Amino acid sequence: MAVFNSKDRVIECKIVYYGPGRSGKTTNLEYIFKAGKKYTNSEMVSINTKGDRTLFFDFLPIGLGKIRGCDVKVQLYTVPGQAKYSSTRKLVLKNVDGVVFVADSLEIQRKANFLSLKDLQQNLAEQNMIIFKIPLVIQYNKRDLGAQGIPIMPVEVMERDLNSKLKVPSFEASAMKGKGVGDTLKKCLILTLRHLQKELKWSQ
Amino acid sequence: MSDKERIKSLIKEAEIYRKQGLLEESKEKYEEILKFIQNHERYSKDKKLIDTVKSKIRTVEGTLDEIDQVTETPELSQEVQDLISRLFTFSKDKDMAAIEGAVALAKFGQYEKALVEFQRLIEEGKMPLLLAKNILMCHIALSSQDAAIAQFKQWVSRDAFSRRELKYIRIFLENALVKQGIKADLPQVEEAPAEEGKPEEKEEDIIDISSVRVQLVNGPRKGEMVEFEITFQLGNKISTIIPAQQKDLADAFEPGLRLSGMQCLSPLAIFNSRGIVSGLKIITSGPRRGDYALDITIDGV
Ligand SMILES: Nc1nc2c(ncn2[C@@H]2O[C@H](COP(=O)(O)OP(=O)(O)O)[C@@H](O)[C@H]2O)c(=O)[nH]1
Ligand SMILES: [Mg+2]
Repeated sequence: MAVFNSKDRVIECKIVYYGPGRSGKTTNLEYIFKAGKKYTNSEMVSINTKGDRTLFFDFLPIGLGKIRGCDVKVQLYTVPGQAKYSSTRKLVLKNVDGVVFVADSLEIQRKANFLSLKDLQQNLAEQNMIIFKIPLVIQYNKRDLGAQGIPIMPVEVMERDLNSKLKVPSFEASAMKGKGVGDTLKKCLILTLRHLQKELKWSQ
Repeated sequence: MSDKERIKSLIKEAEIYRKQGLLEESKEKYEEILKFIQNHERYSKDKKLIDTVKSKIRTVEGTLDEIDQVTETPELSQEVQDLISRLFTFSKDKDMAAIEGAVALAKFGQYEKALVEFQRLIEEGKMPLLLAKNILMCHIALSSQDAAIAQFKQWVSRDAFSRRELKYIRIFLENALVKQGIKADLPQVEEAPAEEGKPEEKEEDIIDISSVRVQLVNGPRKGEMVEFEITFQLGNKISTIIPAQQKDLADAFEPGLRLSGMQCLSPLAIFNSRGIVSGLKIITSGPRRGDYALDITIDGV
């Protein structure tokens, strides 16, 4: 849950980028970091292993300024995708306020997307959260690879695979080029803040 | 697409997977290419092409091996360690938050630093049992089983804990060492007949349990071992949920039932314990309506 300091009127909330390994979660955060550099001096922390794989998490704090009289701060995290880092994912997901699920458009990752979404659902359930109720958006990343002749899945197929029950907002993206990154984050922020507004009953 | 074009496009695919770090997938693709080449007479004699593909496979395998070999976690900078203990504390209670911060460090493999923190907190007398267990686990994670044993001996000689606590810690350490394949000669702890007029200690220092295994003693599934994910824990009280469809399972846990051979699994260790069913309720509202909430109180280890 977000931390709401009613005295100083500061809200701190947590958004986690989830998804299979190598789907582009870190790339999303890196782009957001670079794009925001002009405006903030917040630092991005990445804890990597060999080959730039996320070992524990990436962390990027951003400030949204004042919204309805409150100073809104957002912490963006990514999780490591590989199966063996399950306990890290659980820890990073703890007290999450909103989730961006970064799905990999590559055909060969079809099953990995599935499994990761299921893993997300289970890990949320373990902390008594329901995937249908939390602010969630899905991103279909690496759309650019289709033009290079690499087999990717049509968006309709991915929608059917991942979003037919959830019915959450979804976005096509090429995180490497920054395409779709902003839209995805914006939607997730809107959903998350709307949700928090209800829960925390915060307004003017 | 001509065969030549096909090979070219497959190679491009395999290369992209490799660059994206999808190494298993890249290797598979190269192996598919190799098979394709070997099955086509026109190319099967092209030694250069075959060698190129084989060398690609070796490169990918090499990278896979390198990644496999990185098992230990790196020692992170002081700054990042501080960040971790700040980001992964959730309790409002100051002492609990401090412990959570140190536990997070341990979970992220920063055992040395976690150990320093645990030692500092135990000196301050906070939740000694929980801290003792974490200290021992850090030693073991650092492969210094001897240090863990020495620490335990010191606690025994210093009378730092009550007999009952020491017995508990001893079992905990013994189990943890057995898991490492070590049979250690730990000093015995004699139970004092009655703790000299001390009030009954509360077992509130139970470690974070992620799941429990219980053998069913009632009902149609009698004798079966079942495992429950713990959904909530407060000290020695743990809760789990049994789906509405598994009524027969829920029925096997009438309140008051003693559970003697429970196995508790935590991220840090597995330990045996005893407990009692302290509640079984049907959830009447919310998303899990209809499911059963089962509460167990752990009262011995
Ligand atoms: N072509 C392409 N590659 C991408 C895209 N997004 C990420 N990648 C690449 O995919 C690989 C894995 O990305 P990364 O962000 O580390 O994935 P993570 O494991 O989800 O954090 C890297 O080589 C990225 O450069 C994209 O939109 N298009
Ligand atoms: Mg990453």
